[in-house]
Amino acid sequence: MTYIPSADDLEVITREVWTSFLDGDPAGLLPGGSGADGDRVTGCVHLSGAYTGSIMLQCSGPAARDAAAALFSMQPTDVTQTEVVDAIGELANMVGGNVKSMLPGPSALSLPAVVHGQLAVPGAQVVREVQLTWRGEPLVVSLWQQAAAAA
Amino acid sequence: MVIDDSSAMRLILGRIMRGLGFDVVEAPNGAEAIARLQSGAMPEIALVDWNMPVMDGLAFVNAVRKEEKWRQITLMMVTTESEQSQIVRALAAGAHEYVIKPFTPDAIADKLALLGVLAY
Repeated sequence: MTYIPSADDLEVITREVWTSFLDGDPAGLLPGGSGADGDRVTGCVHLSGAYTGSIMLQCSGPAARDAAAALFSMQPTDVTQTEVVDAIGELANMVGGNVKSMLPGPSALSLPAVVHGQLAVPGAQVVREVQLTWRGEPLVVSLWQQAAAAA
Repeated sequence: MVIDDSSAMRLILGRIMRGLGFDVVEAPNGAEAIARLQSGAMPEIALVDWNMPVMDGLAFVNAVRKEEKWRQITLMMVTTESEQSQIVRALAAGAHEYVIKPFTPDAIADKLALLGVLAY
């Protein structure tokens, strides 16, 4: 039987990444949240192979700027879109790579894609999702699976 | 040498390495790192990401290990690729050590000490 990481697994992995590179404080990332609406940034990595799907990290614009500022040791007001794209891409890459290690292998991990707004994955469906809050802003991590593979 | 397509990660790793007393050069992918080596850079150690555009980390390790003149460079993968089969591939290709992101500065220092390129 194929093990699919749980929502708790997604939270643990995200917390480890956030603690290592953004806050240094496991309590900085709170469970629960309302999801990111309106101004939002989405980072995504795709998996292909024994598991085909995506890992998506979506947060509000302010959270994305704060994350970039923390990674680059900058003031949030000085952060440009280049830094936001780099930071959210690398965070999605780290979360995705660690989720991948819990999925059936071997699978290939794509380079991260980052968009401002929501990212659609044609033919895929969400199989796990965790909603979190960071610095009062929403952060959602989701695991997607291609519909054919999920059926 | 820090080789990673993320400028944030190059900044973080570069800061750690400078804090440990190393001079640091950076490259955003394996091809640019090879170009730097060909132009005379001879790092004691290269921290190598796996998933990068143009030339990935495994291809970089293979390219370095083919050249006798670069044999002395210690290669340490620093990557999110954490499947056992991938780790084995990298080590078989000639990487000396493997660190999975996310990491702590202490984890990097411990691995460098293990490799003998950092004296505590």
